Amino acid sequence: MNKDNQVLVELKNITKRFGEVVAIDKVNLKVHKGEKVAIIGPSGSGKSTLLRTINFLEKIDEGQIFFEGKEVGYVFKRNKRVLDKPKKICALRSEIGMVFQHFHLFPHLTVIENVMEGPRTVLKKNKQEAKSIALDMLKKVGLLDKKNVYPACLSGGQKQRVAIARALAMKPKLMLFDEPTSALDPELVGEVFEAIKKLAQEGMTMIIVTHQMGFAREMADRVIFMEHGRFLLEAKSKEFFSSSLENPRIKSFLQKILD
Amino acid sequence: MVNNISFSILKKTRRIFLLVLVFLSLVSSLRAETNYLKLGEQELSLGNLEQAKQYFLQVKPPLTDEDLDFLRARLILAKLYFNEHEFTLAKKQCEQILKYYPQNLETQNLLKAIKNEEKRFFQRFLDNGKKYLPALLKGTVMTLTLVLFTMLVSPLGGLVIALGRISRFLPLSLFCWFIIWMFRGTPLLLQLFFIYYGLPALGITLKPLTAAFWGLGLNYSAYLAEIIRAGIQSIDAGQMEAAKALGMTYGQAMRRIIIPQTYKRIMPPIGNEFIALIKDTALVSTIAMVELMRSADQLFNTYFDVTVLILAGIIYLLLTTVFTLTFEKIERKVGAYEQR
Ligand SMILES: Nc1ncnc2c1ncn2[C@@H]1O[C@H](COP(=O)(O)OP(=O)(O)O)[C@@H](O)[C@H]1O
Ligand SMILES: [Mg+2]
Repeated sequence: MNKDNQVLVELKNITKRFGEVVAIDKVNLKVHKGEKVAIIGPSGSGKSTLLRTINFLEKIDEGQIFFEGKEVGYVFKRNKRVLDKPKKICALRSEIGMVFQHFHLFPHLTVIENVMEGPRTVLKKNKQEAKSIALDMLKKVGLLDKKNVYPACLSGGQKQRVAIARALAMKPKLMLFDEPTSALDPELVGEVFEAIKKLAQEGMTMIIVTHQMGFAREMADRVIFMEHGRFLLEAKSKEFFSSSLENPRIKSFLQKILD
Repeated sequence: MVNNISFSILKKTRRIFLLVLVFLSLVSSLRAETNYLKLGEQELSLGNLEQAKQYFLQVKPPLTDEDLDFLRARLILAKLYFNEHEFTLAKKQCEQILKYYPQNLETQNLLKAIKNEEKRFFQRFLDNGKKYLPALLKGTVMTLTLVLFTMLVSPLGGLVIALGRISRFLPLSLFCWFIIWMFRGTPLLLQLFFIYYGLPALGITLKPLTAAFWGLGLNYSAYLAEIIRAGIQSIDAGQMEAAKALGMTYGQAMRRIIIPQTYKRIMPPIGNEFIALIKDTALVSTIAMVELMRSADQLFNTYFDVTVLILAGIIYLLLTTVFTLTFEKIERKVGAYEQR
């Protein structure tokens, strides 16, 4: 098998419930190395929950998760599914970067300290190494000049770019973006997209939840439409729009967000 | 013409009328002065000091050099104040007399005597203070020991209890809830009594200092635990998620991300608790500990001198002031990142 075709992460038949609500309903997903997947869908359809199951911020009720071909994350104790040892979960998470809608930068740390925090605390790098990694990442997102300020005095777009740098500093194999531009003023969306696009061009594997159709089409290899915890449509991004016309639900959703 | 004459007559009569009025009012006011002096002396002879003072105060300043009522009244007043050790008031009366009778020897001498006595009174306060101070300072050292010990131990104890309280391991959480409930729900005095006088009945006998450490340490840990717990829970859940997403363990996330963010929020209430602590240490005087309050108590029972209590109060105020200022400084430092 071609190296580029290796499956990085695979979800097999996963289900996640919140009490009565079925947030993820028997979903299957394979993401290959270097592939970019965009997920769209109405609010409450389970997009965030799906991303969060991939790095175990949400515990699934059924199904299996494979990372680099190995089943990971859960063990069975007395027939009950429990999360694997914290050490293993943390190791898995450290290989998966996540970018949140609301940034969640650490307000008590400066920009560079935010980016150094992962390498320092999780990867146990010394200060020098962590600093040089952080500077590289800040350069990549174009925020070297802000390295010594606190997040409180950054714009939304700058905050999100720092959050991306913070995730990248862990040298992740997979990046998860949960509506990275939804909390931004329209004029700040572009700079964040540029940063993500650059990452895509470098070959990063990524799953991105977004409402920006143009961006999904331009960047993703595959687009998934989600509703009620299920994949309603999954298609190559070039084919997605023509296929979507056949489904009235998707068509009306797309029309709504394009307006 | 006729008009003119009648007008000038009118003017004249009005002038005369005014003069008569002024004269009458002068006479009546003179009569009132003599009355007040006499009234005052009468009350004085009857022993009604306060009433006498009131009358003397009403005596008006003199209009002529021969009028000595004011001098007499105010001199009596000054002497009364002097006898009552009201030096400031006595001095004020003398100064008023000297304004109108600058040459009056008796008043000048009285003023000197007052100033002399005043100095001696202050001197006496200082001398007595010096006598009491060593014992009070020794007590202060013990009070400070208790305060500093509790300030070091209770944030750690509080943190441990708070983390236990928010733990998802139910028995631990319940146990910590119980500790908080018990130590916040009963008087510190009762807790100290129980530890010092009650535990021996269960076969545990503690020295007064050990008992005081335990009582204050546990009580303040319980109080701080609630403050710290509220601080931790006030931090946005996204912070913990972001830390976990980086691969941090729960402990790492708490230590590096969550707890440092609580400092700014918990510092003011903790500062308040520590001010209360300085005063609460006085309670350990009831379990045979000799700290500042107990020292003051012992001295007061020996000398019955209010100076002791004033000095003890001043020392407590100094301590609370120093701690308040220190805490304000720390607060400003830990909150810096939100202002930039
Ligand atoms: N922590 C939670 N507790 C209860 N219900 C939740 C929780 N998180 C998500 N849900 C529910 O799961 C469903 C999917 O939510 P989510 O994944 O956030 O949707 P999306 O990101 O597509 O808007 C929704 O019905 C939501 O109400
Ligand atoms: Mg969402």
